[in-house]
Amino acid sequence: MQPQRLPTGGRIDRSKPLIFRFDGRKFEGYAGDTLASALLANGVSIVGRSFKLRRPRGIVGGGAEEPNAIMQIGKGAHAQPNLRATQVELYDGLVARATKGWPGARFDLGAINDAFGKVFSAGFYYKTFMRPKSWWHLYERVIRASAGFGRAPVEKDPDHYEHRNAHCDVLVAGGGPAGLAAALAAGQAGARVMLADEQNEFGGSLLGAKRNVGDAPAEEWLRRTIESLAALDNVTLLPRSTVFGYYDHNFLAIAERCTDHLPEADRAGVRQRLWRVRAKQVVLAQGAFERPLAFCNNDRPGVMLASAVSQYIRRYAVRPGRRAVVFTNNDSAYETALDLAEAGSSVVIVDSRAGGAGPLGERAAQAGISVIAGHVVTDVVGRRRVRGVQVAGWSGNPAYLVESSIRIDCDLVAMSGGWSPAVHLHSHAGGRNVWDAERHCFVPGETTQANVSAGSCNGTLSLRGCLREGNESGRAAASRCGFEAPDIELPSTSEGHENPLQPLWRVPADAEPERCPKQFLDYQNDTSVADIRLAVREGYRNVEHVKRYTALGFGTDQGKLGNINGMAVLAECLGKSIPEVGTTTFRPAYTPVTFGVGAGENVGDLYDPVRKTAIHEWHVAAGAPMENVGQWHRPWYFPRDNEDLHTAVARECQAARQSLGIMDASTLGKIDARGPDVVDFLERIYTHNVGTMKVGRCAYGIMLGEDGMVMDDGVMARVGEQRFYLTTTTGGAANVLAWLESWLQTEWPELEVFLTSLTDQFSTIAVVGPNSRRVLEKLGCSIDLDKDSFPFMTVRDAELGGYPVQLFRVSFSGELAFEINIDSSYALQMWKTVMAAGEEFGITPYGTETMHVLRAEKGFVIVGQDTDGSVTPVDLGMNWLLSKDKDFLGKRSLARPDCVRDDRKQLVGLLSPDNGTVLPEGTQLVETPDAPVPVPMCGHVTSSYMSACLGHPIALALVAGGRARKAETIYAALPGREPMPVTVTAPVFYDPKGERQHV
Amino acid sequence: MSELLTRRHGLEFLLAELGGSRMADPGASVTIRGDLGHINLRGRASDAGFLPPVEKLLGQALPIEPNTVSGERHQVFWLGPDEWLIVTPAAGALELAERLRQATSGTHASVNDISGGQIALMLQGAECRELLAKGCALDLHPSVFAAGDCAQSGLARANVLLALMDATPTFMIVVRRSFSDYLCRWLAHAGSDVGIAFRDA
Repeated sequence: MQPQRLPTGGRIDRSKPLIFRFDGRKFEGYAGDTLASALLANGVSIVGRSFKLRRPRGIVGGGAEEPNAIMQIGKGAHAQPNLRATQVELYDGLVARATKGWPGARFDLGAINDAFGKVFSAGFYYKTFMRPKSWWHLYERVIRASAGFGRAPVEKDPDHYEHRNAHCDVLVAGGGPAGLAAALAAGQAGARVMLADEQNEFGGSLLGAKRNVGDAPAEEWLRRTIESLAALDNVTLLPRSTVFGYYDHNFLAIAERCTDHLPEADRAGVRQRLWRVRAKQVVLAQGAFERPLAFCNNDRPGVMLASAVSQYIRRYAVRPGRRAVVFTNNDSAYETALDLAEAGSSVVIVDSRAGGAGPLGERAAQAGISVIAGHVVTDVVGRRRVRGVQVAGWSGNPAYLVESSIRIDCDLVAMSGGWSPAVHLHSHAGGRNVWDAERHCFVPGETTQANVSAGSCNGTLSLRGCLREGNESGRAAASRCGFEAPDIELPSTSEGHENPLQPLWRVPADAEPERCPKQFLDYQNDTSVADIRLAVREGYRNVEHVKRYTALGFGTDQGKLGNINGMAVLAECLGKSIPEVGTTTFRPAYTPVTFGVGAGENVGDLYDPVRKTAIHEWHVAAGAPMENVGQWHRPWYFPRDNEDLHTAVARECQAARQSLGIMDASTLGKIDARGPDVVDFLERIYTHNVGTMKVGRCAYGIMLGEDGMVMDDGVMARVGEQRFYLTTTTGGAANVLAWLESWLQTEWPELEVFLTSLTDQFSTIAVVGPNSRRVLEKLGCSIDLDKDSFPFMTVRDAELGGYPVQLFRVSFSGELAFEINIDSSYALQMWKTVMAAGEEFGITPYGTETMHVLRAEKGFVIVGQDTDGSVTPVDLGMNWLLSKDKDFLGKRSLARPDCVRDDRKQLVGLLSPDNGTVLPEGTQLVETPDAPVPVPMCGHVTSSYMSACLGHPIALALVAGGRARKAETIYAALPGREPMPVTVTAPVFYDPKGERQHV
Repeated sequence: MSELLTRRHGLEFLLAELGGSRMADPGASVTIRGDLGHINLRGRASDAGFLPPVEKLLGQALPIEPNTVSGERHQVFWLGPDEWLIVTPAAGALELAERLRQATSGTHASVNDISGGQIALMLQGAECRELLAKGCALDLHPSVFAAGDCAQSGLARANVLLALMDATPTFMIVVRRSFSDYLCRWLAHAGSDVGIAFRDA
């Protein structure tokens, strides 16, 4: 059933067969497999198609670096695109599709692209689809359809994701030998430790390793170490958890996959969890990536990284080939050759170095493996699967080969170009990378945060070195947090010396790279040696530009596999050294993360807080649709008997104007301001004269930004000699309080003023209309409500219907009105009490829409609707509010030349002669209906409603020089219609003398 | 007169909605303490006209150490160098606020009864630290955030005052009234995996 599965060994469970599907075909694997190992066990060579050229591609790697086996996993709403098959744990019923290749990876109609490979060079899209410009929308549709790796599900995500904040002394990223040693040292010292590893098991390179650590097999050492860690209460172990981002202040993000490895039917609870970790110290132990070698047709299925081949044999008991050529420039691939031989494959080692390997070479010879030293693989035979390689002699000169080539038949090429430390997280954190000329790789340099790299991500490849560095860095990290680790003896490892690596960034071929089959650097993006050279010929010099022009390191690769070879080829072309060229920037995320885990629990009803007033449930029960006002939900209107918005609002407006309306105004911001210097303070904040206000008086006040623009407005009341009660707009409440506090705390600390937010403490019930006084009297009020005792724009403490309240005689409608301020604990009862008492007057609850109509009829502005941060009080016609007797914030800005222009946009009213059209808010206004395009705009509509009380539509607008243009006609530009003439008027449409509110 | 009136904490509707989620052994439980009153107190600790009369009236010292809570009869939370929150039985809160006002009338001070503006939730249970960690960025490990500690921070997307009242552990979460419905819904959702129960005091 599984032709490439070895009969024994590996960390798989042969008693638990699992059925899965790939591109519609059914296969069997075992528990413990990854999708990649199971595909290899089944002899599946082609797992995808390349991005541009659609060449058949096979599995290359064993982990995050895998460029080709990019899969869409699962179906429907649970589907996940963009996953590396090497990182997908196999489960029963898994359904996978290759994300490139149509109709499938095995047979792909797009493969025609490869025949035109010369055309699809670097910059192909830039060169081809730019002209004619008007065709771009056609090109784009086709390009978009073939771009990307898989498709995001269109259904609503049914899964549960969450965020978790965590703090620790030491976070260890990576659970291989170095990471385990670090976590153990720090954990045993008593530090709070978190150990995260992206795989399902801790152990990294030791998983399946056939070597001893100390006196026990590696797996035994692993078992004991993990048991010791699990026994420590101060250690949190996070398998299946990728540290994908390292941000400022030692803040790291980890994506934990909780249930993705289970059959869909068995998944319950949280699917993925985002850990937001604040660590005092970080030990980075992410390991290293093996580098491919750049020879012709090095992308044929069956060309793999040597370490991946070893991993499949040891850990998954899968033999990726029966006749293997191991092509290397260093010693580590000799281990792979030994693994292959032990698995029963025939092996030939092609070593670029004339001297071959160290002691490992002797072991290979003992195992009967033939070594061809001083040679390189130049080309691959076979298209859908490796059938052989061409091998030629090489002296080390990058320009030419020394011997004509021979062919070796094989079905597997295991290549090793050396190792690149995974410096990703070190780089995220702001650390530099430095070129290690001895080991020929970039290693972490200076760090800017509290972190240290240990093991092979630090360039230390030997197991002995990994264990030592891990232990030392774990101890040091714990020590910096105040925990001293006990001295332990590190287990011994038997490792001989190695012969040095020979740099080999691209393998010479029989011809120039442009004239021979492609030598791929980045498989995922089809970037070849010739593409880098072309970019240089076309003038690109900077590594970041070359990256973007050639797509080197794009996609899920992010510099894992092809980066260093690409930099080296670029350096060669430019005649520079590799460190002079440098690397591109490594950025989060290390591997792709889902949108779900990013959103966590902030979805659906919990997307953003819904703030509710104390009377909210009454509004809901009354059937009012809600309107979002900032985070508040406010009733929009109160429909009766299936009324629509316009009918309901018309009825509500008439009720408020003619008898009695009631509105929940609780969302207004409310601030208690008091202290010996409160008058002085408020004089500086508000534009009007505050000091002359008598106790018990209210005033409409505006505050300006330092730029002189209107920032907020509201009624403010003097409730004591040294005490004021300020109200703000609903949306501005928090900002205004912060604004006032910032002036008090940073600029004017000498002023003795205390501010306290009372927004939530008090609910505000507006009782509006000619009968409002009568209903309050009917409730029983402890003070006289007549117009002489309690005149317009005053405030009184009172008892109303048995409740202690603060009564304001203010009006946002122009009618006789009272605002009841009451402890929110009693607000719902108060509302119901007023409703019951108002029944005889036809009391009508109204929402935000009617409020808007009533205020617009009176020309009262709403900051944020009729203003937009570029409107001065003069523009609004509020000169009367600007005190000449004092200074206030923003005053000086009002004298700027731009603020005194005659043609500034000013608030006006607009009426339409046809008396029927409600202009859409935002409508642009123009001078003449037939001006040539582009038509200059002279203003725009800010508020617009049908006024039931007046019987025609009304609009407020900001019009250039508008106040001087009363009775003039300008035009409203309406989409799809003839421009409509409108007449400029004063912005007050109803009761312009303001008599009704004074009664 | 006002004593005759029934105070509503505003979560009555939500409690009825979540009533079905009661369970025998929840990992976390939330008690809605509508029976507690809240007084915001501002004044300078260095002011002889402020601290001594306030402490005499309360019969206890105000916490001067930042982010701490103290007191038996009244629980007093440090909110800032010149700001405290007094949590006390609701029935006497108005009267206490008035007496505080009188006691500090000779100096620059501010006393506001805000009992209707915020609500205290008591969170208990074996899993409550894990639950809070889902929405609060503070380190709540017992070695860092001990009984008697408090902090103003974010929980989910609401601002809260969070305090560890005892090592059981019992956390007090004080949240603005308008955010309390959201916060309880978030707690119910985030606590669904460990089990969470809500009840009225």
